[in-house]
Amino acid sequence: MSMEILEPTTTAATQVIAYAARPAALAGKRVALVENTKFNSDKLLQRIGELLKTEYGAAECTMYRKHNASVPAHQEIIEAIRTSADVMVAGVGD
Amino acid sequence: MATLTSTRYRVDDAAAAIDLCFEKGWTDGLPVVPPTEAAVRAMLDAARLAPDAQVAYIRDRAVAITAEKVAINAVMAGCMPEYMPVVVAAVEGIGDPRWGYHGPGTSTGGAAVLLIVNGPIARELDINAGDNLFGPGWRANLTIGRALRLVMRNVCGSLPGLLDRGTVGHPGKLSYVIAENESESPWTPLHVERGFRPEQSTVTVMAAEAPHQFYNQLSNTAEGVLTTLADNMRISGNVMGQPHYCLVIAGEHMRTIAASGWDKKRIRQFVWDNTQNSHAHLKRTQRMSGAVEAGDEQKMRPLVASPDDILVVAAGGRAGAFSCFIPGWSSAKSSAAITKEIKR
Repeated sequence: MSMEILEPTTTAATQVIAYAARPAALAGKRVALVENTKFNSDKLLQRIGELLKTEYGAAECTMYRKHNASVPAHQEIIEAIRTSADVMVAGVGD
Repeated sequence: MATLTSTRYRVDDAAAAIDLCFEKGWTDGLPVVPPTEAAVRAMLDAARLAPDAQVAYIRDRAVAITAEKVAINAVMAGCMPEYMPVVVAAVEGIGDPRWGYHGPGTSTGGAAVLLIVNGPIARELDINAGDNLFGPGWRANLTIGRALRLVMRNVCGSLPGLLDRGTVGHPGKLSYVIAENESESPWTPLHVERGFRPEQSTVTVMAAEAPHQFYNQLSNTAEGVLTTLADNMRISGNVMGQPHYCLVIAGEHMRTIAASGWDKKRIRQFVWDNTQNSHAHLKRTQRMSGAVEAGDEQKMRPLVASPDDILVVAAGGRAGAFSCFIPGWSSAKSSAAITKEIKR
């Protein structure tokens, strides 16, 4: 005898995410570095920040630290970056 | 009667339904019970939930988990309808922001969800708290945890190899459910320690590694048994992370420790005091970065941030001088153990 079964999966609601426009060049831009707390993620981003300044003319780099690797950046960081940086680099160190 | 909105599939018979679930990628590798409308409705009725009721919302994955989807997955896992309130409470637990779904649900660290059931419902549903605690043989233990993992897979998208990236994982990811042996335990039950009344039923969810068994067939004192436990435990799990730990104290050890007059608080404090590692050892064994410096032999790092992060549960067989400890995933800051009331 035939039977009918129900689908167990859910499709997440789609949402449109707007990205900020990328700057054409980094010269004079303020860079935010967001590290995820894992070993050496700060060192890696520090080095990237130095290269962005020496090779691309970025004005300054500021490091921010998430609470831990498995959560999104908290609101305080997001607000600080929104007001004090033009460009952001988020790194996953492991 | 509220309509069930899930997509329907018509198949020739139960065997075809089982095959379809495999083909669609809806199973954990074992056959499932076909989720018919009648079976799903029985599940919802047992928890007195409308199909569209939201049981949990996983913020980081933007997924709402409805009662209908929990019920479908509970049927597939082989649950009896009366298990449904336990499954619902467990889903609420992993949906709690303090549990932090995105970490343990996806991490290479390979956590399972350990479920500890307390209160009268554990006895009513025959959730095993005794012999062969983590082993097979009890429908409630094997299907309640399986239902939760199927929800994680089918609703939250934690598919092994895709969003569930556990490097080695462990068998508890199929189902990892125990009850506390409250009828024989001399101690305050876990849920009462965590703020509930004895007559309430609860489930505690903890992102967890596999159980680590230890032997002590020699001691007749609490200090002796727990010294062995602490020595086994000192280097285990994410040594630098300070996660939760769960201590599962089985019959013989339970009686020995209780005969020394120790309660759970004293057990926690002793284990916390005796599982600390010197910075020198952590550096020499490549767990802490940097070179060994003066004073590092005396500088101690606790394995767990606070004694309160150690859950103590009386469970396991009456015979045998074995118990176990279970390291939690990552750190207690990243994923906290959460206790939810089972509502009936």
